Amino acid sequence: MSTTVTRPERALSRRNLAATVVGGYVPLILTTAVVFLPLLWMILSSMKMPNEIVTTDLAVLPAQFSLENYSAAADKVPFGQFFLNSTIVTVTGAAIKVVLALLTAYALVFVRFPFKRLIFVLILVALMVPPQVSILPNYILITGMGGRNTLWGIILPGLGTAFGTFLLRQHFLSLPASLLEAAEIDGAGHWRRLWRIVAPVSVPSIATVALVTIVSEWNEYIWPLIIVDDPRYMTLPVGLTLLRNSEGDAAWGILMAGAVMVIVPVLIIFAALQRYIVAGLTQGSVTG
Amino acid sequence: MSRVHTEPLPPPADPSGSLSRGTAKRDNLKNSAGSKRRFSPRARREGLVFLALVLPNLALIGVFTYLPLLNNLYYSTLNWTLGSSNATVIGLGNYVTFFTSGDAPRVLGTTAVFTLITVGGSMVLGLLIALALNQRIRGTTFARSAVFAPYVLSGVGVGLVWLFIFDPVYGVLAWFLRGFGATSPQWINDPDLALTMVIIVYVWKNLGYCAVVYLAGLQSLPKDIMEASQLDGAGAVRAFWSVKLPLISPTTFFLLITCLLSSLQAFDLIRIMTPLGSGTSTLVYEAYLQAFGAFNRAGYSAAISVILFTILLVATVLQLRFVERKVHYS
Amino acid sequence: MKSIPLPPLNRRHFLSFAALGSGTVALAACGGPSTAPPAEEEETDLDFEGVTPAAAIEFWSTHPGQSQEVEKALIEKFNSSQSEVQVTLVTAGADYEEIAQKFQTAQQGGKLPAVVLLSDVWWFRYYINGSIIPLDGLIEQLEVETGDYRESLIADYQYEDKQWALPYARSTPLFYYNRDHFKAAGLPDRSPTTWEEFGEWAPKLMNAGIPGLQTAYQFPALAGYAGWSLQNHLWGYGGGWSDEWTMTADSPESVAAIQWCQDAVFKHKWAGVSSNDASADLSSGAVSATVSSTGSLVGVLKAAQFDVGVGFLPGGPEETDPVCPTGGAGLGIPSGVTKEEQLAAAMFLKFMGEPENTAEFSAATGYMPVRSSADMTAVLAVSPLIGTAIDQLDVTRPQDYARVFVPGADLEIAKTAAAVLTQPGDVQTEMTKLKETLESMYQRDVEPNLA
Repeated sequence: MSTTVTRPERALSRRNLAATVVGGYVPLILTTAVVFLPLLWMILSSMKMPNEIVTTDLAVLPAQFSLENYSAAADKVPFGQFFLNSTIVTVTGAAIKVVLALLTAYALVFVRFPFKRLIFVLILVALMVPPQVSILPNYILITGMGGRNTLWGIILPGLGTAFGTFLLRQHFLSLPASLLEAAEIDGAGHWRRLWRIVAPVSVPSIATVALVTIVSEWNEYIWPLIIVDDPRYMTLPVGLTLLRNSEGDAAWGILMAGAVMVIVPVLIIFAALQRYIVAGLTQGSVTG
Repeated sequence: MSRVHTEPLPPPADPSGSLSRGTAKRDNLKNSAGSKRRFSPRARREGLVFLALVLPNLALIGVFTYLPLLNNLYYSTLNWTLGSSNATVIGLGNYVTFFTSGDAPRVLGTTAVFTLITVGGSMVLGLLIALALNQRIRGTTFARSAVFAPYVLSGVGVGLVWLFIFDPVYGVLAWFLRGFGATSPQWINDPDLALTMVIIVYVWKNLGYCAVVYLAGLQSLPKDIMEASQLDGAGAVRAFWSVKLPLISPTTFFLLITCLLSSLQAFDLIRIMTPLGSGTSTLVYEAYLQAFGAFNRAGYSAAISVILFTILLVATVLQLRFVERKVHYS
Repeated sequence: MKSIPLPPLNRRHFLSFAALGSGTVALAACGGPSTAPPAEEEETDLDFEGVTPAAAIEFWSTHPGQSQEVEKALIEKFNSSQSEVQVTLVTAGADYEEIAQKFQTAQQGGKLPAVVLLSDVWWFRYYINGSIIPLDGLIEQLEVETGDYRESLIADYQYEDKQWALPYARSTPLFYYNRDHFKAAGLPDRSPTTWEEFGEWAPKLMNAGIPGLQTAYQFPALAGYAGWSLQNHLWGYGGGWSDEWTMTADSPESVAAIQWCQDAVFKHKWAGVSSNDASADLSSGAVSATVSSTGSLVGVLKAAQFDVGVGFLPGGPEETDPVCPTGGAGLGIPSGVTKEEQLAAAMFLKFMGEPENTAEFSAATGYMPVRSSADMTAVLAVSPLIGTAIDQLDVTRPQDYARVFVPGADLEIAKTAAAVLTQPGDVQTEMTKLKETLESMYQRDVEPNLA
């Protein structure tokens, strides 16, 4: 992070400098530290041996940086499988959701239909139904369809997408009407218009929807927790809880190794593409 | 920050819509054209295309979002033990039990405390951080991303990390306290402290969202007003209270509602940090515990879900109403 | 439908929404439970004559006491010992509560295992719900030598003259102590006879200048199974959570016992309460003594950097013997699987209970060998401490009904324990509240279901 104090543009008096440091840098550095120190502690602890953790004589750095906790975690539960499952669920789920959102949003904006507003409201209201409310009924439904302990059972109930539809619709509405008029005169059908004109000019918005969807699919917890009990089909967040054992010792090192595997991939994606993710998640905030 | 979402706001010409910006003009245009020739072959073709594009998504939402609501409503009238294939219809019995047993004050009280403090805490701290970020100094871009990062991380992972930090014997917090000769509070066993702990972590995870939204609000304020207030000689603090705060009140209201909705739905952290819900049983968690925890009271759980949903609905309607009226203080 | 509130829509929209809703009503009712009055109780067919065992079955476990390795080894041994049945081990949860949640939800139409691990507080609920079958017919057909099982362990699963499960990972609480700490404080190398005696020892431990020591004694984690080990204190004072179905949590004896525990934490300040695992707290050297399951024994011996001592649970002023509850988990067979699977499951149950197999499991974990004839000499030679745990089996007492037979009671007990051991709540008030809660839970969930 940037710890070098640089000159503000305005002329510097000593007092001004002090004000900048106290009012500007101190809060920023403090905030950044509060965010990163716990994550740093997670990474350090994941490399400590059990006797460096189950002790009252704590050292900040591990005696030696050991990856033993990672292999212990992988021995205890099939972590490779969890990782693979999470990836499959995330990629498949997000891909389908983005396509569905794109189709729906396109139809809502560019295709004529009498009950459009009602359908949009129906989709929008779905945004506020907490997923927790649907757990029990969906569990019974999916189980009845044979979806327990399957990856599609994890993916299916979340596929309907209100968030992506909403976001893309807002974006499409902002596109200039002239963009499509030419194509309409050329006689291009909706399908062509969608993929040749609308989608290409909306790549940033689509990327935003895709990234936000990927992050939320990866982190999804309550539904996979309920619908899967066979480790062969568990995703990372669910599998992580398997590492906690009832009458074993407090295996914090191993748990931290597991936490690293869940958190770090998202952190990397976020670091690389945070612009789009932040935009998507704060969408609709500045209305006035 | 990216300004993808800040396209200009069209006039609120739309009487019922108001759900989004910009819908009005285009839809009205389309409707006036479409309604006159509603049954023309072309319109019919358009209709079919529309359905083909929308139905898959709509069907999924219907089956996995709306249908469960109805199911829940039905289950909430049953005396039904999860795991048993038989149940008896008891009408509003589950609701009566909830409100007449000690459950209502306990669960609603916990929910209120959790929601008020997390929403208030995230918003106040978020605003302070946004003010710090809204300065012309180096490093704000990085700090903005950093403070937002926890918001996108897995609640399960984050919960475990903080649980380890708070652990009264091995936790780094206990270690610090021991350094000062103090003993660690019983973060995990004491129900009140457990709630405090979960609230702290929740705020840590979510305040970045408030900060970034507030920052966007501050940056969208007209520069001349800001500079004018500065020229007036109004102190920074006074300028904040009398000018900035009123001007960003729409952002405040937006955050109030969105944070309220997500706080009311908080689950992952509670489940990971306090599996038994001792002291931390909010409506969502109580509904989960009643059905899938030790009690297996599926009907009762469904009733709690319905109560939760009603509260969420009220909050959302408030938000929609607000957007409709477009409250401005400027 | 009308009861679903909607945001302001116009009437036409509302009506079409309502129409959409009513179309789904039929769907809404399907998949849930039946509300028709139950048909004539069908006598479950438990005759396994001529049934061929299923070729492949699942065993749901939580691997209590870090037993994953030994479970795998035993299953491997079973699978290669015969050609009829192959068992697959499934991790179905991290603890007894999680596996129970999975099992309960699977009743709703999911895939059930043929063998399920069930803890002391869960099997009775499965019995009430009819989710497990009595094993008597299978025991007879497969000639399981129930007479050789340890009486106190097998009797725990008997109700209405039927056997509902067989013991597997069975444990008792055990008094663990740090021998180095005891030596430093000049204390005898044994567990105290009574808690009063420990009350005299504790200040010595606190004043012995032991580095890193936080408290002399650590109560087991409340979120775990507080109600289990606290029975030891209650019984020592002549109290209990209940006397059969009469709730006695508010009796003067029970209150006195818990008051003593609270004083140890708040008045004398030599006791703490573990946040997740008391045995780990002991291993770390943060505390000098604790009470934990025998299932933690092997784990503690591995982790501790000092000499570990174990002993019988201390008694109280009224009672010194028996004051030790049994606990842990057994194996049961679900009613919702085919007879072929049930038979195969019973074969596996029989195998896991064979003397040499239970001995192997015990050696790897510290859980009790469930058979009297299990040869433990090899194990005792390696870790003699297991002997203490086995000897204590002779002085155990069946658990209070309130804890093991009332669904969810353990959670309520844990909450009360939190209110008096981590906060200085008034013991009498809290215990009275607990008694009332337990009574209403009994009346709601148990009494109507008792035959």
